[in-house]
Amino acid sequence: MTSTNADLPLKHVPGHIKHDGHNLTGFIIFLCSESIIFLAFFVGYALLKITSPEWLPEGVEGLETRMPLINTVILVSSSFVAYFAEVYLHKENLWGFRALWLLTMAMGSYFVYGQYVEWSELAFSLSSGVFGGTFYLLTGFHGLHVITGILLMGLMLARSFRPYNYAKGEMGVTAVSLFWHFVDVIWIILYVLIYVWQRTS
Amino acid sequence: MTSTRKAPKKRLPLRLLAVILISTALDAAMSFQVSRWAYGWLPVPASTAAPYVDDLFSLEVGIGAFVFIGCVGFIIWSLLFSRAEKYDESDGLPIEGNTKLEITWTVIPFVIVMALAFYSIQVNEKLASLGPKQKYDVALNQSPDAVATLDARRDIGPIEVISRQWSWEFVYPDGVRSSELHLPLNQRANFLLISKDVLHSFYIPAFRLKQDIIPGSVISYSITPTREGRFRLRDAMFSGAYFSNNQTDVIVESEEAYDSWLTQTAKRPLVQGLSPGTPLYEKRLKDGDRGWATVPPAPPPMVNDPGNPEAPHDA
Amino acid sequence: MTTTKYDPRVLKAPHPVPGAPDNWKRFFSFNTDAKVIGIQYIGLSLFFLLVGGLLAMVMRGELITPPADLVDPSVYNGLYTMHGTVMLFLFLFPVLNGFNNLLIPTMIGAPDMAFPKLNAAAFWLVPVFAVVLLSSFFIPGGPASSGWWSYPPVSIQNPLGHLINGEFLWILAVAISGVSSIMGAINFVTTIIRMRAPGMGFFKMPVFVWTAWAAQTLQLIGLPALTGGAIMLLFDLSFGTSFFRPEGGGDPVLYQHFFWFYSHPAVYVMVLPVFGIFSEVITVYSRKPLFGYKFVALASFIITFLGLIVWVHHMFYTGTPQWMRNLVMITTMLIAVPTGVKVFAWLGTLWGAKIRLTTPMLFVLGGLVNFIFGGITGVMLGTVPIDIHVGNTYFVVAHFHYIIFNTIGFGIFAGIYHWFPKFTGRMYYEGLGKIHFTLTFIGATLNWLPLHWAGLYGMPRRVASYDPEFALWNVIASIGAFMLGVASIPFILNIVSSWARGAKAPANPWRAIGLEWLLPSPPPAENFEDDIPTVISEPYGYGLGKPLVEDEEFYVRRSMEA
Ligand code: HEA
Ligand code: HEA
Ligand code: CUA
Ligand SMILES: [Cu+2]
Repeated sequence: MTSTNADLPLKHVPGHIKHDGHNLTGFIIFLCSESIIFLAFFVGYALLKITSPEWLPEGVEGLETRMPLINTVILVSSSFVAYFAEVYLHKENLWGFRALWLLTMAMGSYFVYGQYVEWSELAFSLSSGVFGGTFYLLTGFHGLHVITGILLMGLMLARSFRPYNYAKGEMGVTAVSLFWHFVDVIWIILYVLIYVWQRTS
Repeated sequence: MTSTRKAPKKRLPLRLLAVILISTALDAAMSFQVSRWAYGWLPVPASTAAPYVDDLFSLEVGIGAFVFIGCVGFIIWSLLFSRAEKYDESDGLPIEGNTKLEITWTVIPFVIVMALAFYSIQVNEKLASLGPKQKYDVALNQSPDAVATLDARRDIGPIEVISRQWSWEFVYPDGVRSSELHLPLNQRANFLLISKDVLHSFYIPAFRLKQDIIPGSVISYSITPTREGRFRLRDAMFSGAYFSNNQTDVIVESEEAYDSWLTQTAKRPLVQGLSPGTPLYEKRLKDGDRGWATVPPAPPPMVNDPGNPEAPHDA
Repeated sequence: MTTTKYDPRVLKAPHPVPGAPDNWKRFFSFNTDAKVIGIQYIGLSLFFLLVGGLLAMVMRGELITPPADLVDPSVYNGLYTMHGTVMLFLFLFPVLNGFNNLLIPTMIGAPDMAFPKLNAAAFWLVPVFAVVLLSSFFIPGGPASSGWWSYPPVSIQNPLGHLINGEFLWILAVAISGVSSIMGAINFVTTIIRMRAPGMGFFKMPVFVWTAWAAQTLQLIGLPALTGGAIMLLFDLSFGTSFFRPEGGGDPVLYQHFFWFYSHPAVYVMVLPVFGIFSEVITVYSRKPLFGYKFVALASFIITFLGLIVWVHHMFYTGTPQWMRNLVMITTMLIAVPTGVKVFAWLGTLWGAKIRLTTPMLFVLGGLVNFIFGGITGVMLGTVPIDIHVGNTYFVVAHFHYIIFNTIGFGIFAGIYHWFPKFTGRMYYEGLGKIHFTLTFIGATLNWLPLHWAGLYGMPRRVASYDPEFALWNVIASIGAFMLGVASIPFILNIVSSWARGAKAPANPWRAIGLEWLLPSPPPAENFEDDIPTVISEPYGYGLGKPLVEDEEFYVRRSMEA
């Protein structure tokens, strides 16, 4: 509640100016809510993994972890890159921002590509019992978020070229980079749940 | 809180106190009566568990009636004595609250419901000792009795209760199969609840017993019947088109009658058992398969005793 | 959040308000004015009350005799599934969002919602998923028919094997409905947090705003879990996964956790705003401040919190371990405490009041009586040993209709009558309103009171046929239900005719205290426009003689001139 400004000379507060700055509030509320879908999936995954009488489908030994680890490192570092892109934007260094922002997008795209390669090499499918189902559901749902994030970043990048759009772009950039950090944190949890925690039966 | 017009401060007048006392006593008397009636709102109690449930129910009806009659009585009283006259435009007493009163009516319900909860937990534990219930996950190729631990204090059993869309089948330890459940009086019977397709629920109102049956698991459950008679066994978890017909009877009989039924039935050949959905589905097909989609009924189970669905039941 | 850099153009630009205020066509357009959207929501949802009611009439027709003679059992199953779904997702949630749209901005003195376009988009998703849901009546195999819970495995059996089947459309519709509700919830919460008039601290907000906030918070927490469960169900149904299929190692009970983690809190999403309506209406027609306003306001969030940790009470007999049953029994019973605080506060408000039995007040008092009854049967259901007997019987059905129709429905009727003059600018007909109330109260009682006994004697719910010993209760219930159908006639008549030719409503016909009553009837598109009042008092200052806002005469004068 900062927008009810005491220094306004008016006796009654005009209606319109109060609209500013709600977008981020709304977006944060949205992210909190969105995180609960993931939470639901995580809890469901963990419960199935603990209680299911059978876990690994016939002929599957477990998951390869090296490739995904590289992927993880790249995705997590992209979060830092995005952060520095934002710093540049605050310093009004538009080209610096664009460069790092593009790098973030590239790293995100690499992650998606890596995921694609991993998927295409797996010996099980969506319908291979709970194991297959949960694996593709979780990684796929997360992957969709990564792709959304990349598209949103593209949008922000394009916007940065529009003149006089600086203030709006900044708000959007804050929101998108929040989203990106969110997607990263989700991935870390996912990585631990799916790859680090092994169940071999 | 600063208000320009303070409500006049007054002590509880004696008259009011008397009214409150009398109406509380009246309320209590009425609720007590209602709690007596509550026993009659349930089917005959026919298991060792039933009396505990009924007592608890009666208690809750009593408390509930007390709260309900008290609140509604107050509303009626207000409607009688606090109505505005037709052209009276004035305001009521500007009371904004009373912290003491508010705390009171937070604490009292808190105490009531907690007492109720702890009493119910006790009943719960009692019921669990009368008929323990344990759920075990089974994989596709495992047999139920290999997975489940049986109730060590059972007198008879384990009786396999196999539920399907839409039939019940009871398999006794010596291999007798029946469409109706026969139980000896006052003997603790242990069941293994099994579903072959979707969720069902094993519900015998007279026993105050209900347990969902979950495909992919087997549930070991015990009960001791205490009254002879023929009682309804109903599927109580929606299981598809002919769900409402998925009912059969439980026959509680003396030990001798039970034993002779068991030996007699063992000699009978296997016949098609009760499958109430089957004739209905056949009729539907004959009438041109109108209606909305449904899976066909499972084939009727093959049993030694197909039962007598027309017999009148006690509860 | 600092918002120092204002774009000066925003201040000068006239706010885009499509459609003149008297133009009825705006109700059929993509309008971003919260008051238009509010009326759109309420109008549409009342239409779906009729649809859901019509389905209920057929069901009660079927149930008036023991055998399944009116419709095939498979049809009955589809009917009750669609009845529950239509009533909840197309009637109840939309109608409450209608109230949120009308009341939140006007009550907190905001010009509009925080995100007007999002708001309109959320509304227009309602007809979209309505079409998706209702079109399932016309596809081969018929609509979803495994209950509004849609429990697997029965819900994923897909007898015909088609990709597009009733269940598929049902899940799709529920998912779109979830998206729409989330969009709404983000909007409402942001608006409440950020757009209150100056001086309107949290403890100066009307209780309706508190309850709407508490309810929408539940939506934000609960809906995603349902969505997660729905996605998994859809995959099981259509794409061969086995999250809930035992054959593939899945667990059908897991779905129940997802479902109830949302759908239990959902009942408080539905009832909380009605508690708000109760608080607004009781104070006006008692002409008294709300007894213990702060307690009542805060109790909403206590209910929100407790509401999130009791969902397992819908699963007492699914093989839940004893410790969990005991724990959830305690939390379930605890909800009686904050709820009791509210009930007693309303009763306290009646003490020494000057009660006027107008139609809204009648509906609120009737609803309150029914709520106490339904709440008490709720506590009984929360008791494990009793729930084991009556769970999944008509006792449950009677319990929740006592709340969902006999309380919430009543509250909604009360709200519609009470704010009708404000938002349409016309007075309703009091006589017709009272006929509506009388028929509804008698019909609702006949309909739902007897069915408690049917349940206690062991009549399961969701049955197309039943044993003859339950016939008497069901005959009475069906007669009551048909009376409810008749009761909708004076209601519709009242709304339509008074909107078309009722007397012009003054700005504040009930002499009520609240920001919305300082606005003209109907309020202009931007509510207070460029003169947002500064709030100086708590709400409901009846008899206290304090002005609600600074410069109150200015607003009163202006509202009457319009
Ligand atoms: C829509 C609103 C709504 C509301 C507000 C409630 C409120 C409550 N409900 Fe209800 N309920 C439903 C809608 C609602 N319910 C629906 C739709 C279902 C079935 C869904 C389905 O299966 O399809 C259901 C089912 C349901 C069940 C599951 C039954 C079963 O399937 O086996 C249970 C079990 O615990 C339950 C309990 C409660 C409790 C304890 C409350 C409490 O919140 C009530 C609290 C209120 C009071 C207690 C009254 C006021 C308090 C006082 C006057 C204080 C003093 C009181 C005492 C000391 C007791 N409800
Ligand atoms: C908001 C929620 C809501 C509301 C308001 C209602 C209102 C009613 N409900 Fe419903 N009901 C549910 C939500 C609701 N219900 C849910 C969630 C279920 C569970 C489903 C499940 O098990 O999956 C259920 C289940 C349910 C059952 C149990 C089905 C079963 O288990 O087999 C029954 C049976 O009697 C029933 C009846 C009624 C009746 C008679 C009304 C009456 O109050 C309706 C009154 C009707 C009107 C006021 C409208 C009048 C309109 C007309 C008469 C038509 C005229 C038409 C035109 C003019 C076009 N409902
Ligand atoms: Cu911006 Cu109104
Ligand atoms: Cu609940």
